[in-house]
Amino acid sequence: MADKKRALVIVPFALDAAGVANRKAQTKAVKLGPDIDFDFRPVTAGPTSFMSHHDVALMEMGIFEAAMDAEKEGYDAVVIDTMSDSGMGPLRSMLKIPVIGPGRASMFFALTLGSKFTVLAQWEPSIPRIKRAIQEYGLAAHVPSIEHFDTPPDFANLLDGKEDKVFPKMKAACERAIDKGAEVICMGSTTMHQAAAYLADNLPVPVINPGPLSYKLVELLLGLNLSHSKKTYPAPLAPKPEMVRAMMKAAAATEKK
Amino acid sequence: MPKVLVLVPFPMTPQERGNREAQRHLVKLSPDTQLEFRSVKAAPRTYVSHHDYIIADIGIFEAGLQAQKEGYDCVCIDTMSDSGMNALRSVLDIPVIGPGRASMLTALMLGDRFSIVAMWPHWAGLYKKTLYELNLQEKCASVRWPEGLVPDNRNLLGGKEDVVLPKLYETAMRCVEEDGAEVICLGSTTMHQAHAYLQERLPVPIINPGPLSYKMAETVVALKLAQSRKAYPSPMVPKEDMLHIMLDAAASAEAGKPLEKLG
Repeated sequence: MADKKRALVIVPFALDAAGVANRKAQTKAVKLGPDIDFDFRPVTAGPTSFMSHHDVALMEMGIFEAAMDAEKEGYDAVVIDTMSDSGMGPLRSMLKIPVIGPGRASMFFALTLGSKFTVLAQWEPSIPRIKRAIQEYGLAAHVPSIEHFDTPPDFANLLDGKEDKVFPKMKAACERAIDKGAEVICMGSTTMHQAAAYLADNLPVPVINPGPLSYKLVELLLGLNLSHSKKTYPAPLAPKPEMVRAMMKAAAATEKK
Repeated sequence: MPKVLVLVPFPMTPQERGNREAQRHLVKLSPDTQLEFRSVKAAPRTYVSHHDYIIADIGIFEAGLQAQKEGYDCVCIDTMSDSGMNALRSVLDIPVIGPGRASMLTALMLGDRFSIVAMWPHWAGLYKKTLYELNLQEKCASVRWPEGLVPDNRNLLGGKEDVVLPKLYETAMRCVEEDGAEVICLGSTTMHQAHAYLQERLPVPIINPGPLSYKMAETVVALKLAQSRKAYPSPMVPKEDMLHIMLDAAASAEAGKPLEKLG
Protein backbone atom coordinates (compact mmCIF):
# COMPACT_ATOMS: atom_id res chain seq x y z
CA MET A 1 0.00 0.00 0.00
CA ALA A 2 1.57 3.21 -1.19
CA ASP A 3 0.36 5.46 1.59
CA LYS A 4 1.24 3.13 4.46
CA LYS A 5 2.70 5.24 7.28
CA ARG A 6 5.43 4.31 9.76
CA ALA A 7 5.79 5.44 13.35
CA LEU A 8 8.89 4.96 15.48
CA VAL A 9 8.36 4.26 19.18
CA ILE A 10 11.41 4.91 21.33
CA VAL A 11 11.78 2.66 24.38
CA PRO A 12 13.68 4.70 26.98
CA PHE A 13 15.86 1.90 28.38
CA ALA A 14 18.50 -0.18 26.60
CA LEU A 15 16.34 -3.33 26.85
CA ASP A 16 16.81 -6.70 25.18
CA ALA A 17 14.29 -8.16 22.73
CA ALA A 18 12.07 -9.63 25.49
CA GLY A 19 11.93 -6.30 27.34
CA VAL A 20 11.03 -4.47 24.12
CA ALA A 21 8.32 -7.07 23.43
CA ASN A 22 6.71 -6.31 26.82
CA ARG A 23 6.59 -2.68 25.79
CA LYS A 24 5.21 -3.48 22.36
CA ALA A 25 2.32 -5.43 23.92
CA GLN A 26 0.72 -2.01 24.55
CA THR A 27 -0.22 -1.75 20.89
CA LYS A 28 -2.71 -4.61 21.42
CA ALA A 29 -4.62 -2.61 24.04
CA VAL A 30 -6.23 -0.41 21.42
CA LYS A 31 -7.76 -0.86 17.99
CA LEU A 32 -5.38 0.78 15.57
CA GLY A 33 -6.07 1.63 11.96
CA PRO A 34 -4.52 -0.57 9.27
CA ASP A 35 -2.47 2.23 7.71
CA ILE A 36 0.28 2.76 10.27
CA ASP A 37 3.07 0.40 11.35
CA PHE A 38 4.70 0.89 14.74
CA ASP A 39 8.38 -0.02 15.07
CA PHE A 40 9.83 -0.18 18.60
CA ARG A 41 13.45 0.78 19.15
CA PRO A 42 15.33 0.86 22.46
CA VAL A 43 17.83 3.62 23.17
CA THR A 44 21.52 2.89 22.53
CA ALA A 45 22.32 3.54 26.17
CA GLY A 46 20.55 5.05 29.10
CA PRO A 47 20.06 5.06 32.83
CA THR A 48 19.23 1.86 34.76
CA SER A 49 16.78 3.46 37.17
CA PHE A 50 14.56 6.48 36.74
CA MET A 51 14.29 8.43 39.96
CA SER A 52 16.89 11.17 39.97
CA HIS A 53 17.95 14.09 37.81
CA HIS A 54 21.02 12.04 36.90
CA ASP A 55 18.70 9.50 35.29
CA VAL A 56 16.59 12.14 33.56
CA ALA A 57 19.65 13.73 31.93
CA LEU A 58 20.86 10.39 30.52
CA MET A 59 17.40 9.40 29.36
CA GLU A 60 16.87 12.72 27.53
CA MET A 61 20.10 12.28 25.62
CA GLY A 62 19.43 8.59 24.86
CA ILE A 63 15.96 9.25 23.46
CA PHE A 64 17.14 12.29 21.53
CA GLU A 65 19.82 10.26 19.82
CA ALA A 66 17.60 7.25 19.12
CA ALA A 67 15.07 9.21 17.05
CA MET A 68 17.14 12.12 15.77
CA ASP A 69 17.24 10.68 12.24
CA ALA A 70 13.67 9.35 12.19
CA GLU A 71 12.61 11.67 9.41
CA LYS A 72 15.57 10.71 7.18
CA GLU A 73 14.83 7.06 7.89
CA GLY A 74 11.40 7.56 6.36
CA TYR A 75 9.27 7.64 9.51
CA ASP A 76 6.11 9.74 9.59
CA ALA A 77 5.89 10.17 13.37
CA VAL A 78 7.81 9.50 16.59
CA VAL A 79 6.37 8.36 19.91
CA ILE A 80 8.34 8.49 23.14
CA ASP A 81 7.41 5.55 25.34
CA THR A 82 7.71 7.37 28.65
CA MET A 83 5.38 9.69 30.53
CA SER A 84 8.37 11.87 31.38
CA ASP A 85 8.39 13.07 27.74
CA SER A 86 12.19 12.86 27.96
CA GLY A 87 13.79 14.01 24.74
CA MET A 88 10.55 15.41 23.32
CA GLY A 89 11.69 19.03 23.22
CA PRO A 90 15.05 18.31 21.51
CA LEU A 91 13.40 15.95 19.01
CA ARG A 92 10.67 18.46 18.20
CA SER A 93 13.38 21.04 17.53
CA MET A 94 15.09 18.76 15.00
CA LEU A 95 12.12 17.03 13.34
CA LYS A 96 9.18 18.31 11.32
CA ILE A 97 7.23 15.05 11.69
CA PRO A 98 5.04 14.90 14.82
CA VAL A 99 6.81 13.82 18.02
CA ILE A 100 4.38 12.67 20.70
CA GLY A 101 5.21 12.66 24.38
CA PRO A 102 2.57 10.69 26.32
CA GLY A 103 2.89 12.96 29.38
CA ARG A 104 1.94 16.16 27.65
CA ALA A 105 -0.62 14.33 25.54
CA SER A 106 -2.28 12.55 28.50
CA MET A 107 -2.64 15.67 30.61
CA PHE A 108 -4.23 17.83 27.91
CA PHE A 109 -6.31 14.89 26.71
CA ALA A 110 -7.56 14.35 30.28
CA LEU A 111 -8.96 17.89 30.21
CA THR A 112 -11.12 17.01 27.21
CA LEU A 113 -12.95 14.55 29.54
CA GLY A 114 -13.07 16.43 32.85
CA SER A 115 -11.74 19.58 34.49
CA LYS A 116 -9.44 18.07 37.16
CA PHE A 117 -7.08 15.15 36.80
CA THR A 118 -4.33 13.33 38.61
CA VAL A 119 -1.23 11.49 37.51
CA LEU A 120 -0.80 8.18 39.31
CA ALA A 121 2.77 7.88 40.61
CA GLN A 122 4.58 4.57 40.92
CA TRP A 123 6.32 5.40 44.19
CA GLU A 124 7.41 8.45 46.12
CA PRO A 125 10.59 9.15 44.10
CA SER A 126 8.44 9.62 40.96
CA ILE A 127 6.48 12.50 42.45
CA PRO A 128 8.95 15.39 41.94
CA ARG A 129 9.29 14.53 38.24
CA ILE A 130 5.52 14.44 37.77
CA LYS A 131 5.09 17.73 39.63
CA ARG A 132 7.72 19.35 37.46
CA ALA A 133 5.97 18.26 34.26
CA ILE A 134 2.63 19.58 35.54
CA GLN A 135 4.28 22.92 36.33
CA GLU A 136 6.00 23.06 32.95
CA TYR A 137 2.70 22.57 31.15
CA GLY A 138 1.05 25.20 33.37
CA LEU A 139 -1.54 22.80 34.79
CA ALA A 140 -0.90 22.95 38.55
CA ALA A 141 -4.38 24.36 39.19
CA HIS A 142 -5.92 21.33 37.45
CA VAL A 143 -4.33 18.68 39.68
CA PRO A 144 -5.82 18.42 43.20
CA SER A 145 -3.29 15.82 44.40
CA ILE A 146 -0.73 13.26 43.29
CA GLU A 147 -0.87 9.84 44.93
CA HIS A 148 1.55 6.92 44.66
CA PHE A 149 1.22 3.16 45.20
CA ASP A 150 4.57 2.59 46.86
CA THR A 151 5.98 -0.06 44.51
CA PRO A 152 9.43 0.17 42.91
CA PRO A 153 9.18 0.06 39.10
CA ASP A 154 10.49 -2.86 37.02
CA PHE A 155 11.18 -1.45 33.57
CA ALA A 156 11.66 -4.79 31.78
CA ASN A 157 9.10 -7.11 33.43
CA LEU A 158 6.65 -4.31 34.27
CA LEU A 159 3.91 -5.66 36.52
CA ASP A 160 4.24 -9.33 35.45
CA GLY A 161 3.54 -11.70 38.34
CA LYS A 162 2.77 -8.83 40.68
CA GLU A 163 -0.84 -8.22 39.60
CA ASP A 164 -2.63 -9.58 42.70
CA LYS A 165 -0.52 -7.55 45.05
CA VAL A 166 -0.07 -4.36 43.06
CA PHE A 167 -3.36 -3.76 41.20
CA PRO A 168 -5.40 -3.21 44.40
CA LYS A 169 -2.76 -0.78 45.68
CA MET A 170 -3.00 1.14 42.40
CA LYS A 171 -6.77 1.25 42.72
CA ALA A 172 -6.55 2.52 46.31
CA ALA A 173 -4.16 5.31 45.28
CA CYS A 174 -6.56 6.35 42.48
CA GLU A 175 -9.45 6.38 44.96
CA ARG A 176 -7.51 8.72 47.26
CA ALA A 177 -7.00 11.07 44.29
CA ILE A 178 -10.71 10.91 43.37
CA ASP A 179 -11.65 11.73 46.97
CA LYS A 180 -9.49 14.84 46.68
CA GLY A 181 -11.24 15.94 43.46
CA ALA A 182 -9.63 14.15 40.51
CA GLU A 183 -12.16 13.56 37.72
CA VAL A 184 -9.79 11.76 35.35
CA ILE A 185 -6.81 9.48 36.09
CA CYS A 186 -3.66 9.56 33.99
CA MET A 187 -1.49 6.54 34.58
CA GLY A 188 1.92 7.93 35.52
CA SER A 189 3.99 5.58 33.40
CA THR A 190 3.65 3.63 30.18
CA THR A 191 5.03 0.68 32.18
CA MET A 192 1.70 0.50 34.04
CA HIS A 193 -0.22 -0.45 30.90
CA GLN A 194 -0.98 -3.98 32.10
CA ALA A 195 -3.17 -2.49 34.86
CA ALA A 196 -5.20 -0.23 32.57
CA ALA A 197 -8.14 -2.57 31.99
CA TYR A 198 -8.38 -3.47 35.69
CA LEU A 199 -8.39 0.17 36.75
CA ALA A 200 -10.88 1.20 34.06
CA ASP A 201 -13.24 -1.58 35.23
CA ASN A 202 -12.92 -0.75 38.91
CA LEU A 203 -12.90 3.05 39.06
CA PRO A 204 -15.78 5.54 38.53
CA VAL A 205 -13.73 7.90 36.32
CA PRO A 206 -11.92 7.60 32.96
CA VAL A 207 -8.42 6.12 33.10
CA ILE A 208 -5.94 7.22 30.46
CA ASN A 209 -3.46 4.60 29.30
CA PRO A 210 -0.66 6.78 27.95
CA GLY A 211 0.98 4.41 25.45
CA PRO A 212 -2.18 3.46 23.53
CA LEU A 213 -3.33 7.11 23.66
CA SER A 214 -0.10 8.18 22.03
CA TYR A 215 -0.55 5.64 19.21
CA LYS A 216 -4.07 6.93 18.52
CA LEU A 217 -2.73 10.48 18.54
CA VAL A 218 -0.31 9.48 15.79
CA GLU A 219 -3.36 8.57 13.69
CA LEU A 220 -5.09 11.79 14.71
CA LEU A 221 -2.20 14.10 13.85
CA LEU A 222 -1.30 12.33 10.60
CA GLY A 223 -4.97 12.24 9.60
CA LEU A 224 -5.20 16.00 10.10
CA ASN A 225 -1.76 16.76 8.67
CA LEU A 226 -0.70 18.42 11.94
CA SER A 227 2.59 18.58 13.78
CA HIS A 228 4.15 20.55 16.67
CA SER A 229 4.76 24.27 16.27
CA LYS A 230 8.18 25.38 15.13
CA LYS A 231 7.57 28.62 17.03
CA THR A 232 7.56 26.60 20.26
CA TYR A 233 10.43 24.34 19.20
CA PRO A 234 12.76 26.37 16.95
CA ALA A 235 15.39 24.50 14.95
CA PRO A 236 19.02 24.79 16.11
CA LEU A 237 21.29 27.14 14.17
CA ALA A 238 24.16 24.65 14.32
CA PRO A 239 22.96 21.06 14.68
CA LYS A 240 25.47 18.59 16.15
CA PRO A 241 24.13 15.16 15.23
CA GLU A 242 27.59 13.57 14.93
CA MET A 243 28.49 14.72 18.42
CA VAL A 244 25.30 13.30 19.86
CA ARG A 245 25.76 9.98 18.06
CA ALA A 246 29.41 9.72 19.19
CA MET A 247 28.39 10.28 22.80
CA MET A 248 25.78 7.53 22.80
CA LYS A 249 28.06 5.10 20.98
CA ALA A 250 30.72 5.74 23.61
CA ALA A 251 28.13 5.34 26.36
CA ALA A 252 27.02 1.96 24.99
CA ALA A 253 30.64 0.77 24.73
CA THR A 254 31.24 1.70 28.38
CA GLU A 255 28.21 -0.27 29.50
CA LYS A 256 29.42 -3.45 27.74
CA LYS A 257 32.68 -3.51 29.71
CA MET B 1 -16.77 0.61 14.05
CA PRO B 2 -17.63 4.02 15.43
CA LYS B 3 -20.97 5.46 14.40
CA VAL B 4 -20.81 9.18 15.10
CA LEU B 5 -23.69 11.63 15.28
CA VAL B 6 -22.64 15.15 14.24
CA LEU B 7 -25.05 17.77 15.52
CA VAL B 8 -25.43 20.73 13.17
CA PRO B 9 -26.45 23.80 15.16
CA PHE B 10 -28.95 25.28 12.68
CA PRO B 11 -32.04 23.97 10.88
CA MET B 12 -30.94 23.77 7.25
CA THR B 13 -31.76 22.83 3.71
CA PRO B 14 -29.99 19.66 2.54
CA GLN B 15 -27.72 21.83 0.36
CA GLU B 16 -26.70 24.01 3.28
CA ARG B 17 -26.06 20.95 5.42
CA GLY B 18 -23.93 19.64 2.55
CA ASN B 19 -21.60 22.60 3.11
CA ARG B 20 -21.18 21.38 6.68
CA GLU B 21 -20.78 17.73 5.70
CA ALA B 22 -17.98 18.63 3.28
CA GLN B 23 -15.71 18.86 6.34
CA ARG B 24 -15.45 15.07 6.42
CA HIS B 25 -13.30 15.16 3.28
CA LEU B 26 -10.68 17.35 4.98
CA VAL B 27 -9.39 14.54 7.17
CA LYS B 28 -8.35 10.94 6.73
CA LEU B 29 -10.82 8.86 8.71
CA SER B 30 -10.75 5.16 9.40
CA PRO B 31 -12.72 3.30 6.68
CA ASP B 32 -15.24 2.00 9.21
CA THR B 33 -16.07 5.37 10.79
CA GLN B 34 -19.59 6.50 9.95
CA LEU B 35 -20.59 10.16 10.32
CA GLU B 36 -24.24 11.13 10.29
CA PHE B 37 -25.16 14.82 10.31
CA ARG B 38 -28.34 15.98 12.02
CA SER B 39 -29.71 19.51 12.33
CA VAL B 40 -31.30 20.87 15.48
CA LYS B 41 -35.04 21.56 15.35
CA ALA B 42 -34.71 25.22 16.26
CA ALA B 43 -31.82 27.61 16.81
CA PRO B 44 -30.82 31.22 17.31
CA ARG B 45 -30.23 33.10 14.05
CA THR B 46 -26.57 33.54 14.98
CA TYR B 47 -24.26 33.22 18.02
CA VAL B 48 -23.49 36.70 19.28
CA SER B 49 -25.28 37.13 22.62
CA HIS B 50 -26.23 35.21 25.72
CA HIS B 51 -29.77 35.14 24.33
CA ASP B 52 -28.37 33.13 21.42
CA TYR B 53 -26.18 30.90 23.60
CA ILE B 54 -29.07 29.65 25.71
CA ILE B 55 -31.22 28.79 22.70
CA ALA B 56 -28.25 27.06 21.07
CA ASP B 57 -27.58 25.04 24.22
CA ILE B 58 -31.10 23.73 24.53
CA GLY B 59 -31.48 22.98 20.79
CA ILE B 60 -28.28 20.94 20.61
CA PHE B 61 -29.06 19.25 23.93
CA GLU B 62 -32.40 18.06 22.59
CA ALA B 63 -31.02 16.98 19.20
CA GLY B 64 -28.48 14.61 20.80
CA LEU B 65 -30.52 13.46 23.76
CA GLN B 66 -31.39 10.03 22.32
CA ALA B 67 -28.06 9.40 20.57
CA GLN B 68 -27.05 6.54 22.82
CA LYS B 69 -30.41 4.75 22.50
CA GLU B 70 -30.25 5.28 18.75
CA GLY B 71 -27.05 3.23 18.66
CA TYR B 72 -24.42 5.93 18.16
CA ASP B 73 -20.97 5.46 19.69
CA CYS B 74 -20.12 9.14 19.97
CA VAL B 75 -21.59 12.62 19.49
CA CYS B 76 -19.71 15.54 17.91
CA ILE B 77 -21.07 19.07 18.15
CA ASP B 78 -20.48 21.07 14.98
CA THR B 79 -19.80 24.41 16.64
CA MET B 80 -16.74 25.90 18.35
CA SER B 81 -19.06 27.21 21.07
CA ASP B 82 -19.43 23.64 22.39
CA SER B 83 -23.10 24.56 22.90
CA GLY B 84 -25.06 21.79 24.58
CA MET B 85 -21.92 19.78 25.35
CA ASN B 86 -22.11 19.94 29.13
CA ALA B 87 -25.80 19.01 29.22
CA LEU B 88 -25.35 16.12 26.78
CA ARG B 89 -22.36 14.84 28.74
CA SER B 90 -24.53 14.72 31.85
CA VAL B 91 -27.10 12.38 30.26
CA LEU B 92 -25.04 10.27 27.83
CA ASP B 93 -22.46 7.60 28.64
CA ILE B 94 -21.09 7.72 25.08
CA PRO B 95 -18.43 10.40 24.57
CA VAL B 96 -19.56 13.89 23.53
CA ILE B 97 -16.93 15.98 21.74
CA GLY B 98 -16.99 19.77 21.65
CA PRO B 99 -14.61 21.16 19.01
CA GLY B 100 -13.86 24.31 21.04
CA ARG B 101 -12.47 22.42 23.99
CA ALA B 102 -10.82 19.81 21.74
CA SER B 103 -9.14 22.49 19.57
CA MET B 104 -7.64 24.41 22.45
CA LEU B 105 -6.33 21.29 24.19
CA THR B 106 -4.93 19.80 20.99
CA ALA B 107 -3.24 23.12 20.25
CA LEU B 108 -1.52 22.82 23.64
CA MET B 109 -0.19 19.37 22.74
CA LEU B 110 1.63 21.05 19.82
CA GLY B 111 2.74 24.37 21.33
CA ASP B 112 2.55 26.51 24.47
CA ARG B 113 0.27 29.37 23.35
CA PHE B 114 -2.46 29.58 20.76
CA SER B 115 -4.57 32.28 19.14
CA ILE B 116 -8.08 32.03 17.79
CA VAL B 117 -8.92 33.55 14.41
CA ALA B 118 -12.60 34.44 14.14
CA MET B 119 -14.72 35.92 11.37
CA TRP B 120 -15.98 38.88 13.41
CA PRO B 121 -15.79 40.36 16.92
CA HIS B 122 -19.13 38.99 18.06
CA TRP B 123 -17.76 35.48 18.61
CA ALA B 124 -15.21 36.51 21.28
CA GLY B 125 -17.60 35.68 24.14
CA LEU B 126 -17.84 32.05 23.02
CA TYR B 127 -14.11 31.47 23.32
CA LYS B 128 -13.96 33.27 26.63
CA LYS B 129 -16.56 30.87 28.03
CA THR B 130 -14.52 27.78 27.11
CA LEU B 131 -11.20 29.31 28.19
CA TYR B 132 -12.64 30.13 31.62
CA GLU B 133 -14.24 26.69 31.93
CA LEU B 134 -10.90 25.10 31.10
CA ASN B 135 -9.05 27.56 33.35
CA LEU B 136 -6.47 28.06 30.60
CA GLN B 137 -6.89 31.80 29.98
CA GLU B 138 -3.17 32.50 30.08
CA LYS B 139 -2.52 29.97 27.30
CA CYS B 140 -4.50 32.04 24.80
CA ALA B 141 -2.24 34.63 23.16
CA SER B 142 -5.11 36.49 21.46
CA VAL B 143 -8.44 36.35 19.68
CA ARG B 144 -8.44 38.30 16.41
CA TRP B 145 -10.73 38.84 13.44
CA PRO B 146 -10.51 40.73 10.15
CA GLU B 147 -12.39 43.99 9.78
CA GLY B 148 -15.60 44.15 7.84
CA LEU B 149 -16.71 40.52 7.47
CA VAL B 150 -20.16 39.10 8.22
CA PRO B 151 -20.10 35.30 8.54
CA ASP B 152 -22.71 33.23 6.70
CA ASN B 153 -23.50 30.11 8.76
CA ARG B 154 -25.41 28.49 5.86
CA ASN B 155 -23.33 29.15 2.73
CA LEU B 156 -20.07 29.55 4.68
CA LEU B 157 -17.39 31.14 2.49
CA GLY B 158 -19.21 30.19 -0.74
CA GLY B 159 -18.23 32.69 -3.45
CA LYS B 160 -16.38 35.05 -1.13
CA GLU B 161 -13.06 33.21 -0.92
CA ASP B 162 -11.01 35.81 -2.85
CA VAL B 163 -11.86 38.48 -0.30
CA VAL B 164 -12.00 36.40 2.86
CA LEU B 165 -8.95 34.12 2.59
CA PRO B 166 -6.25 36.83 2.33
CA LYS B 167 -7.87 38.72 5.20
CA LEU B 168 -7.84 35.63 7.41
CA TYR B 169 -4.21 34.99 6.53
CA GLU B 170 -3.23 38.54 7.44
CA THR B 171 -5.12 38.22 10.74
CA ALA B 172 -3.46 34.88 11.60
CA MET B 173 -0.01 36.33 10.84
CA ARG B 174 -0.64 39.19 13.26
CA CYS B 175 -1.48 36.57 15.91
CA VAL B 176 1.87 34.87 15.25
CA GLU B 177 4.07 37.93 14.84
CA GLU B 178 2.53 40.43 17.26
CA ASP B 179 0.86 38.23 19.89
CA GLY B 180 3.25 35.27 20.04
CA ALA B 181 0.82 32.57 18.93
CA GLU B 182 2.55 29.24 18.39
CA VAL B 183 -0.58 27.48 17.13
CA ILE B 184 -3.72 28.90 15.48
CA CYS B 185 -7.24 27.62 16.09
CA LEU B 186 -9.90 28.42 13.51
CA GLY B 187 -12.68 30.14 15.42
CA SER B 188 -15.58 28.30 13.82
CA THR B 189 -16.37 25.03 12.10
CA THR B 190 -17.96 27.23 9.40
CA MET B 191 -14.44 28.38 8.47
CA HIS B 192 -13.29 24.93 7.35
CA GLN B 193 -13.04 26.04 3.72
CA ALA B 194 -10.22 28.40 4.74
CA HIS B 195 -8.12 25.73 6.41
CA ALA B 196 -6.15 24.39 3.44
CA TYR B 197 -5.31 27.91 2.23
CA LEU B 198 -4.05 28.94 5.65
CA GLN B 199 -2.20 25.70 6.37
CA GLU B 200 -0.14 26.11 3.19
CA ARG B 201 0.90 29.63 4.13
CA LEU B 202 1.23 29.86 7.92
CA PRO B 203 4.48 29.09 9.77
CA VAL B 204 2.58 27.42 12.63
CA PRO B 205 0.07 24.54 12.91
CA ILE B 206 -3.56 25.50 12.33
CA ILE B 207 -6.38 23.48 13.83
CA ASN B 208 -9.52 22.77 11.81
CA PRO B 209 -12.10 22.19 14.57
CA GLY B 210 -14.71 20.05 12.78
CA PRO B 211 -12.32 17.47 11.27
CA LEU B 212 -10.41 17.42 14.56
CA SER B 213 -13.60 16.49 16.39
CA TYR B 214 -14.12 13.47 14.10
CA LYS B 215 -10.59 12.20 14.78
CA MET B 216 -11.14 12.81 18.48
CA ALA B 217 -14.29 10.69 18.22
CA GLU B 218 -12.28 7.83 16.69
CA THR B 219 -9.64 8.23 19.41
CA VAL B 220 -11.94 8.16 22.43
CA VAL B 221 -14.06 5.32 21.04
CA ALA B 222 -10.97 3.17 20.31
CA LEU B 223 -9.62 3.86 23.80
CA LYS B 224 -13.04 3.14 25.36
CA LEU B 225 -13.00 6.56 27.05
CA ALA B 226 -15.75 9.07 27.71
CA GLN B 227 -16.36 12.16 29.82
CA SER B 228 -15.91 11.77 33.58
CA ARG B 229 -19.08 11.30 35.60
CA LYS B 230 -17.37 13.22 38.40
CA ALA B 231 -17.17 16.24 36.11
CA TYR B 232 -20.63 15.76 34.57
CA PRO B 233 -22.94 14.14 37.15
CA SER B 234 -26.21 12.57 35.93
CA PRO B 235 -29.51 14.30 36.71
CA MET B 236 -31.63 12.78 39.47
CA VAL B 237 -34.81 13.40 37.48
CA PRO B 238 -34.28 13.47 33.71
CA LYS B 239 -36.94 15.42 31.76
CA GLU B 240 -36.51 14.05 28.26
CA ASP B 241 -40.13 14.43 27.23
CA MET B 242 -40.21 18.02 28.38
CA LEU B 243 -37.14 18.82 26.26
CA HIS B 244 -38.58 17.23 23.12
CA ILE B 245 -41.90 19.06 23.57
CA MET B 246 -40.07 22.36 24.08
CA LEU B 247 -38.11 22.02 20.86
CA ASP B 248 -41.13 20.91 18.84
CA ALA B 249 -42.90 24.04 20.10
CA ALA B 250 -39.87 26.16 19.17
CA ALA B 251 -39.80 24.70 15.66
CA SER B 252 -43.54 25.39 15.22
CA ALA B 253 -43.07 28.97 16.37
CA GLU B 254 -40.40 29.46 13.70
CA ALA B 255 -42.12 27.52 10.88
CA GLY B 256 -42.45 29.48 7.64
CA LYS B 257 -40.49 32.50 8.89
CA PRO B 258 -37.84 33.80 6.48
CA LEU B 259 -34.24 33.91 7.62
CA GLU B 260 -33.54 37.25 9.33
CA LYS B 261 -30.98 39.53 7.63
CA LEU B 262 -27.70 40.17 9.47
CA GLY B 263 -25.40 43.18 9.26
